[in-house]
Amino acid sequence: MSTFNAIGTAASGVTVYRKWLDAVSDNIANMDNVSKTSDKAFQARYVVAQEAQDGNGAQVGGIAYGSAEGVLAYEPDNPMADTEGYVRRPDIDLGSQMAQLMMAQRAYQANLSVVDRARESYQAAIQLGKG
Amino acid sequence: MFDDVASSSLRVAVAGLSARQNAIANNISNIETPGYQARKVKFEEALSSAVAHGQSPSTVSPSVQNSLEPTRLNGNNVNLDEETLSHIDTTMRYQLTLRALDGKYGLIRDAIKGA
Repeated sequence: MSTFNAIGTAASGVTVYRKWLDAVSDNIANMDNVSKTSDKAFQARYVVAQEAQDGNGAQVGGIAYGSAEGVLAYEPDNPMADTEGYVRRPDIDLGSQMAQLMMAQRAYQANLSVVDRARESYQAAIQLGKG
Repeated sequence: MFDDVASSSLRVAVAGLSARQNAIANNISNIETPGYQARKVKFEEALSSAVAHGQSPSTVSPSVQNSLEPTRLNGNNVNLDEETLSHIDTTMRYQLTLRALDGKYGLIRDAIKGA
């Protein structure tokens, strides 16, 4: 147990939710990707949080992938279209991505405010005995 | 001199509040961890019963329990507003306890310095 434990614990949460934000923004940036029907669609990535091994905070436990099949769209004018005029697009719902984005952002902020309040306490503890 | 009931109660309280602060930081950092159950630190009841029964407060150590609140769909039961309020409350209590402890030490310091 380190001296300023609560700060490190909250910082691990900040890291997890920053990665979560990165993953969601990557998903949104790639949501209009087009691929050939013979290739895979862009797969959305979802961060799976896990409790840290030492019991202090959280860590990224793994990544869950969205559908590689995506959805087929009929776009005969698209240069990527197959002989029947279809292309593959990722199956990403902007609404659910935005909800995830907000959730990760709030969790990020909650962890940062823990750092702030923990710092207050530790500062008071450091002043102990100075009279 | 440092082992009177008041000083050792205050020291136990500081340790308990510090453990609670760590537990809250852990709960908030795991707010979206599937299957995580919030942890609650308890020490006040044990401390007050030790003082009431004339036992030494220093035998009291904080106990950590998993929250029995209903979980969300992902098996997690951390409640952000409850944790945030509890953290603010714990921070204030921690500072108050430290100030009380500092007051005790101040008296001793004055006695050492003399007039």
